[in-house]
Amino acid sequence: MSNKRSVDPCVDQLVPIANKEGIETVWDRYEAMKPQCGFGQLGVCCRICWKGPCRIDPFGNGPQRGVCGADAHTIVARNLIRMIAAGAAAHSEHGRHVALTLLAAGEGHAPAYRIKDEQKLRSIAEKLNLEPAGKDLKQLAKEVALASLEDFSRQERTTPCSWAKETMTTERVDKLCKLRVMPHNIDAVVTEIMGRTHVGCDADAVNVMLGGLKGALADYTGMYLSTELSDVIFGTPEPVVTAANLGVLKENAVNIAVHGHNPLLSEIVCDVALKMNEEAKKAGAEDGINIVGICCTGNEVMMRRGIPLASNYLSQELAIITGAVDAMVVDVQCIMPSISKISECFHTEVITTLNENKITGATHIEFHEDTALDSAKKIVELAIDAFKRRDNSRVNIPSYKQTAITGFSAEAIISALSKLDANDPLKPLIDNIVNGNIQGIALFAGCNNPQTTQDNSFITIAKELAKNNVLILATGCGAGAFAKNGLMTQEATVAYAGDSLKAVLTAIGEAAGLNGPMPLVLHMGSCVDNTRAVKVAVAVADKLGVDLDKLPLVASAPEAMAEKAVAIGTWAVALGLPTHIGVVPQVLGSSVVAEFLTEKAKDLVGGYFIVETDPKKAAEKLIAVIKQRREGLGI
Amino acid sequence: MERIKENYFIYADPTKCLGCKSCELACAVAHADSDLLTAVAQGVRLQPRNSVVQSNNLIMPIQCRQCEDAPCALACPTGAIYQEEGMVKINEKSCVGCKVCVMVCPFGAITVTADEAENGSSRTKKGKARKCDLCYSRMKDNKELSCACVEACPTKAIMLVDIESYRKKLLEARAKEAVQAYKHI
Repeated sequence: MSNKRSVDPCVDQLVPIANKEGIETVWDRYEAMKPQCGFGQLGVCCRICWKGPCRIDPFGNGPQRGVCGADAHTIVARNLIRMIAAGAAAHSEHGRHVALTLLAAGEGHAPAYRIKDEQKLRSIAEKLNLEPAGKDLKQLAKEVALASLEDFSRQERTTPCSWAKETMTTERVDKLCKLRVMPHNIDAVVTEIMGRTHVGCDADAVNVMLGGLKGALADYTGMYLSTELSDVIFGTPEPVVTAANLGVLKENAVNIAVHGHNPLLSEIVCDVALKMNEEAKKAGAEDGINIVGICCTGNEVMMRRGIPLASNYLSQELAIITGAVDAMVVDVQCIMPSISKISECFHTEVITTLNENKITGATHIEFHEDTALDSAKKIVELAIDAFKRRDNSRVNIPSYKQTAITGFSAEAIISALSKLDANDPLKPLIDNIVNGNIQGIALFAGCNNPQTTQDNSFITIAKELAKNNVLILATGCGAGAFAKNGLMTQEATVAYAGDSLKAVLTAIGEAAGLNGPMPLVLHMGSCVDNTRAVKVAVAVADKLGVDLDKLPLVASAPEAMAEKAVAIGTWAVALGLPTHIGVVPQVLGSSVVAEFLTEKAKDLVGGYFIVETDPKKAAEKLIAVIKQRREGLGI
Repeated sequence: MERIKENYFIYADPTKCLGCKSCELACAVAHADSDLLTAVAQGVRLQPRNSVVQSNNLIMPIQCRQCEDAPCALACPTGAIYQEEGMVKINEKSCVGCKVCVMVCPFGAITVTADEAENGSSRTKKGKARKCDLCYSRMKDNKELSCACVEACPTKAIMLVDIESYRKKLLEARAKEAVQAYKHI
């Protein structure tokens, strides 16, 4: 619990303006929600059937079982894995959408889309055992799309999802198959969770939790294919220098914010906006059209196009409160419904685009792959129209922005490393881990949560780890936090990295032609892109011939909030990573579930959760884990 | 002369309060002459007379302490607030909604609200001072208080305190400790 809202200076500048104008923000609503129900926080309320709601008294004085007889352990476990199912569903719907678009592109029904990264398509085809040699690009796109879609439809329960099986170490696949938690079909696993948690079904908390691991691995599968197929269609990210924070909005431009998670729409909006720049100028915007990103749609276009990032999750409302956003185009996930209410106070057009994701009060422009160009054109026209209505006396664009070097896909990292050793690119990385120059690798992922000071935990832990020579990767709103606060710069490396980490980052950066070190934190993409980090980790593990649970790797989601984050954290654990969360999860009402997550999981899969709300202590714990893993490897 | 009994009051144990607000709901419903679902379905305005408050990490419901020398009763300019039957009562007919009681209450336990939404009258908003009345209207035949919040609390954090029996129990517990100490002299 913290009194300060954020370490982001834009928040300090814009929240008072919101207060003065009587506009409610996420922080006001959080205060109004207090106290938050303790039963909910402990995970011991059950609303799964209509005999309830039931809740268990954690002090032991009141009821210890729900009406059906479910105890706290059953209730907590069921609630948790339903969250995992929702997270898996969200990521996998995204993945399915991309796969279907690739199929449509292969069949020639989606004129806005093409295959931008042929090499990646071929390497995926090889990974999926599709024998790409000699096949035509469109045919191959179709085959890859269909093979990916098979991970949503396979009925043979003993055959694991291809995207899971082919992207992990063999040892890991065996271990997960033996535990019977390897997914065979993403949709079926999500459905299975809903089925097994229905009233009167799976009641053994540990067995329920194993169902959760399976759900999390289905999430992994959906995410992995989503990222990889997006790269095929839109290109694999490469390092690019751009900027972050609300200072990227321009007073003299039509500002269009793309917000949500899915690149299928935002990429086309960017394409179309480029062509409509003159129309914006005609409408009086001297600087034409300025596209900025919010949340992970922002990360997607930032990584691939160098489009600046305006904000991460928690400060999305403030973008509208600057009075300078003419249109906010949203697709799926993490979009606060409040933005449409706040937009009523300004000229801003909030535009929803998917029929499954509408917000009352927003303008809806239906988006389909086959007519994407038309929709994008309508969106940009609405933005230009709104610009004409903008009240310049109410524009408050904060002057804060930071340079951010982004775009470190697995391929980009390997390519940078190959400048040091062209024949064996992973060797310099592994050598430096073995000799201790790099003590370990930490992946920061996901979310902001008003229960913590926005961005603070990310920054505090990362600086501490960097000082101790831990290489830092980031995705999602974590990446947004680092970008906005200047940790994705070469200067940050000089300022915060320990000596040996600094030397390694400088050697790679110089060799890669950056005229200085690599940035302190490597931006690996949106939150759906966490599998990019797995790709690097698995390559290292394969090369060393050890499984992931032996490597000095850790993950951290210090400001987690979404169901997607619950799913990601759980698959990180299932892959063998010690995974820190900085917000107390809603599981403490069950000792069995809490123990499963923090202890028992270690015996089963090697990974486990570390819960620590104090960022300084969290950093200490992560460093201790890395040391312990190094000792285990004898390095 | 009849012995004067101290007022009963509601007290919550902050170490057991989970902040679920069940007591707020129960209180509001008890004072709405309706059940929860009907009230919500019919759009009845639900007004709890207690409030679950969070201060740092402690959470507990706050409501009228039925003060013996009640500042609200002292300050009330129309004499609407008075002591009767072991509690501080408000005569709504005399209340003009001036909020002086709200200002002097050491616990912030009084609100001024109206039963219904404003009806357009330019003279009155019909706001009346309201606070915990120990569910007086629900008092059982045997004159036993039956407070909705106490019954609703799922962790038994809320108690109706009869200060005499409370003090007796407290004395017994303290005496037990003292006796234990004497053993070792």
